[in-house]
Amino acid sequence: MFWHIYKYRLKCLTRSRQMMFWTLLFPIILGTLFYMAFSNLSSVEAFSHIKIAVVDNEEFQKDTNFREALQSASDPDNGDGSLFDVTYTSKEEGESLLMGGNIEGIIYFNNGIKLILKESGLNQTIIKEFIDHYKQTLSTVSAIINRNPEAMQKGLIESSTSHKDFLKEASAGSSAPDTTVNYFYTLIAMACLYGSFFGLNEVTVNQANLSAQAARANMSPVHKLRVFIYSMTAAATIQLVNIGILLLYLTVILHINFGTQITYILLTCIAGTVTGVTFGAFIGSIVKGGEGIKIGILIAGSMTMSFLSGMMYDKMKYIVNTKVPVLGYLNPANLITDCFYSLYYYDTYTVFFTDILFLILLTAFFSLLTYLQIRRQKYASL
Amino acid sequence: MVISVKNLTKRYGDLVALDHFNLEVGEGEILGLLGPNGSGKTTAINCILSLLKYEKGSIDIYGKPMAPEAYDLKRKIGIIMQNVAVFEELTVYENIDYFCGLYISDKNKRRSLVIEAMDFVGLNDYGKFYPKKLSGGLLRRLNIACGIAHKPDLIILDEPTVAVDPQSRNNILEGIQRLNREGATVIYTSHYMEEVEQICTRIAIMDKGKIIATGNKEELKAMINSGEKITVEIYNPENRILTDVKNLPHIVSAFFHDSFLTVKSERDKNNLMVLIDYLKTRQIAFGKIYSEPPTLNDVFLEITGKELRD
Ligand SMILES: Nc1ncnc2c1ncn2[C@@H]1O[C@H](COP(=O)(O)OP(=O)(O)OP(=O)(O)O)[C@@H](O)[C@H]1O
Ligand SMILES: [Mg+2]
Repeated sequence: MFWHIYKYRLKCLTRSRQMMFWTLLFPIILGTLFYMAFSNLSSVEAFSHIKIAVVDNEEFQKDTNFREALQSASDPDNGDGSLFDVTYTSKEEGESLLMGGNIEGIIYFNNGIKLILKESGLNQTIIKEFIDHYKQTLSTVSAIINRNPEAMQKGLIESSTSHKDFLKEASAGSSAPDTTVNYFYTLIAMACLYGSFFGLNEVTVNQANLSAQAARANMSPVHKLRVFIYSMTAAATIQLVNIGILLLYLTVILHINFGTQITYILLTCIAGTVTGVTFGAFIGSIVKGGEGIKIGILIAGSMTMSFLSGMMYDKMKYIVNTKVPVLGYLNPANLITDCFYSLYYYDTYTVFFTDILFLILLTAFFSLLTYLQIRRQKYASL
Repeated sequence: MVISVKNLTKRYGDLVALDHFNLEVGEGEILGLLGPNGSGKTTAINCILSLLKYEKGSIDIYGKPMAPEAYDLKRKIGIIMQNVAVFEELTVYENIDYFCGLYISDKNKRRSLVIEAMDFVGLNDYGKFYPKKLSGGLLRRLNIACGIAHKPDLIILDEPTVAVDPQSRNNILEGIQRLNREGATVIYTSHYMEEVEQICTRIAIMDKGKIIATGNKEELKAMINSGEKITVEIYNPENRILTDVKNLPHIVSAFFHDSFLTVKSERDKNNLMVLIDYLKTRQIAFGKIYSEPPTLNDVFLEITGKELRD
């Protein structure tokens, strides 16, 4: 019986153009628009890799520390942390590149690090900062080594780590890529909440006072709650697949970087989906009124919650979390984006699992209220 | 008794939709529940099915009280609701298969039942069609197929022929009689007296939430005073004619409707010749003339004072 109902509910839901539009196509379209808007913004505003030339001579080859630092600053695998786009050249060639405006600066070694810049600007400041910081760390390290030669091995390792930290800081500070990712977090949260359309639909087709199909199904010898639970399982399945497709689209096609903790990201999507689907069932069963009104409430509700978690205005999440922190815990969109945030920014999972717990609590609340409405089998009117 | 309903009373707020409604349906009957719009037919059916709450009364089906959890009873019932109850997203075959599958788990058995049901309503060529692509009549047939595919012993149809063309209507009516011959007990609600007269073995006439008369059509027609009804077109309708006609023997009532004179005779009396003689001797010019036996509408009219259909 489970497979019979499950299979047919999958068919019904996937063939519903309207629902598939809102749950699958709409988030993809919105994601594409976000992507276009932001890629525009970052090219105009600030953050792209700074093109520099490094003169590849003997002294440069000897300075392994600097080579390492430069490497991590220009590592394409570092994703958004990559600061420089480095060309290794001779000095003459570098100068002609600089004159032609193809690069922003030349780093070369001649009794120490030297820097040639043509004009002054943000990019030039960043190159200079990088060099200064390196020099400063190097002098600290050599001071330590002079005083305590045994620390040499250790000290060098630490200094190279601190370079990486600097780079992380620098990339976080230059902000554009990271806030962009936040918008995509809210997009996924919104898509999860749009799973509520499926939840709403399943209530409608199982409540005899809401649809004729339900009256027919209610007259069958299968317990109404069983039909309902199987239907909700189908609804959650489809929405999960939709979210999966959205994630693939964002990461594979649009190259949005959500970090590497794929298991936790999937866990967030599952929790978010189930919350979204039960939210729809909850609205469907407690709100009196036609299907149009209920769909209106779902769209408005999902949009508001996404807005409060920063979808249209990125400071919004911060404002809510500081001014009305309770709202943050009651807003599933906020909880979902918080999960992603915590995965990206924190090394511990305390915040992550707190958010997941609250999502589960919300799901339980929605399910309980839905159950109290659904369990009645006789109606005052049809 | 297949169904026994006693003193069923149901209100919607202040409106009393069913007022001490009583009904018994025996095995093998096609019971017609006939009543005008709003008389409470659908409400009665939904109460019997335990979909609606009611204030008072008892409902037994196959000798057991009907309740939402009475799954053994539900298994024997097939319903065809007044509103078409199919999924837009499923094809004709899939719709029937879905609902049939709620009763029958065995796949092979179900497949043959679904095909049989499609044959039965004449939809075999439409298995892959979506409901949107079906005409109104075909859609109603699908609605019926979804209700009967699992071969129920008791079939309840609530106005299955509303807004259906004559071809589909005949298909449906014949189908119901066929199901009955195969052993099903049928309850059929309608406000079309012709349909009810055509197929029902027993008729319950309903008005304002009450059963006002039951019996087969002969019994019902025997309950009323008037028999044959004669309608004559009179070019110069005058009150004098009315007075004269009323004084003819065996006349129950006479009235003008525009230029048409309607005369009702006593049961089993024939007044056609008498009336024509009268018109001829008085040299009253008349056109069309026709005579009809009494209908269920006359029965309804005589009991309630109003027409069955407005
Ligand atoms: N959900 C409801 N809420 C309030 N009143 C209702 C409701 N459903 C029906 N009624 C009223 O109850 C009475 C009986 O309605 P019902 O639908 O049972 O009649 P019916 O005989 O099936 O009519 P029809 O031939 O039009 O289908 C009507 O007066 C109707 O207006
Ligand atoms: Mg009705």
